[in-house]
Amino acid sequence: MDRRHFLALGGATLGAAFLDGCGLDRAPQAEPVLRSAERRNEAIERSLFRHRSVDRPPAGARAAGAAFPMYFISKHPPVWDESVRGAWTLEVTGAVKRPIKLTLPELVKLRSVTQRVDHFCVEGWTAVAEWTGVRMRELARIVEPTPDAGYVDFQSFDDDYHESWDIESAMHPQTIVAYGMDGRYLGVPHGAPARVHSPVKLGYKNTKYLTRIVFLPGRNGGYWSDQGYEWYGGV
Amino acid sequence: MKRHHWVVRVTHWVNVVAFTLMVGSGLQIFNAYPAFARRGETFCCYPFAHKAIPSALTFGGWLAGARNWHFAMMWVLVLNGLIYIAFIYLHGEWRDLVPRRGDPRDAWQMIRFYLFLRRDHPRQGKHNALQKAAYFAFPVLAALQVATGLAIWKPVQLSWLTALFGGYVWARYWHFLSMVGLVGLIIGHVFMVFAVDPYSLVSMVTGGYDARFSPEARNARPFYHLLPQQSDAGASEGD
Repeated sequence: MDRRHFLALGGATLGAAFLDGCGLDRAPQAEPVLRSAERRNEAIERSLFRHRSVDRPPAGARAAGAAFPMYFISKHPPVWDESVRGAWTLEVTGAVKRPIKLTLPELVKLRSVTQRVDHFCVEGWTAVAEWTGVRMRELARIVEPTPDAGYVDFQSFDDDYHESWDIESAMHPQTIVAYGMDGRYLGVPHGAPARVHSPVKLGYKNTKYLTRIVFLPGRNGGYWSDQGYEWYGGV
Repeated sequence: MKRHHWVVRVTHWVNVVAFTLMVGSGLQIFNAYPAFARRGETFCCYPFAHKAIPSALTFGGWLAGARNWHFAMMWVLVLNGLIYIAFIYLHGEWRDLVPRRGDPRDAWQMIRFYLFLRRDHPRQGKHNALQKAAYFAFPVLAALQVATGLAIWKPVQLSWLTALFGGYVWARYWHFLSMVGLVGLIIGHVFMVFAVDPYSLVSMVTGGYDARFSPEARNARPFYHLLPQQSDAGASEGD
């Protein structure tokens, strides 16, 4: 952070101190400063990011099981109705050489991994579960992203929920398209038939009820990141 | 006489504002999950689980707003702290703050004095031994606050740091506790400023200080001898 930004942040600090008394802590004047801090934090976080930094929950940590929280943005639990929409497929497309469309049996047939990892929620809680699925790396190997594909958008059938990621995080070995949880196929509360799961991103980046994975040359925001949560959301 | 260099005064007041906003936004973030247990587990050491912090103490409006403030303000707090530490190191003020061998004994005498078990104010340098301990504890706790903060911000990329604090759940707890410790010290600090040495408030603004008004000269205890003493006879009044 250079001196000009430090002073600007200092100014915003003093402003905020007064605004707090008035209950105006969402002052629009502070927005550009907070956005700028977020971009700088993202730059730092991306420079820290390593594929070999992996999440290992403590050995004694108990799996959350039924206590694993669930949420969706639709009014009702999003269920893929085959009689209306036909068989569910996962489309992997965008800036790739060989776009594909996979049915669930086709996805399950791909080389899979099972990993016991943390789920870091933006709210501050964590939950341990054992996830089974296909590494995003493996999907990328199949579709071959073009060199300009710096981002990946994970889209869903839970209304218009989606979140886009930097490709480095998407290619982390613990980032998977999960169809299994704790030894069973995913249930509706946890994003059936398939969802993204990774301990390197906060929970809200891990789109559930997946339909499309789109490789992109630029970022494409996301449901929560468009509302003020950090776009990067890295852990 | 000059008591506080302008660098000390500026960093002090920047700290007041930045720390207040960090606590407020931190408590707002905490309210999104006011507990420590991993899902499906219990946590031994926090009796107020799932009780929200009163909104009057929070800042940022909602979780995302508070996070944005928290992750911006942390740089102000850290840079400000580094400027302060670098300054007192280079300028020599650290000598008034770093504990010495006689400090526990002097601190005990201060406690005795405040409890009316001792009649006259112990001799002191710039600060009394209790003050020194508190002012030395501030940067130590602040460092713990920063380290635990990094540990829960990046528990995967900085997993070695998170592991150092016993994992994510415990790191989050230490982050909370060191905040409570700092807030406790601040409450004590502000209380003593108003109850014992209100003149120091002026010196933290203008830098100036009249040694005749020092707590030692006034033989001041909390709410005793707030005004400068006229004579030696007056000094024993009210004891």
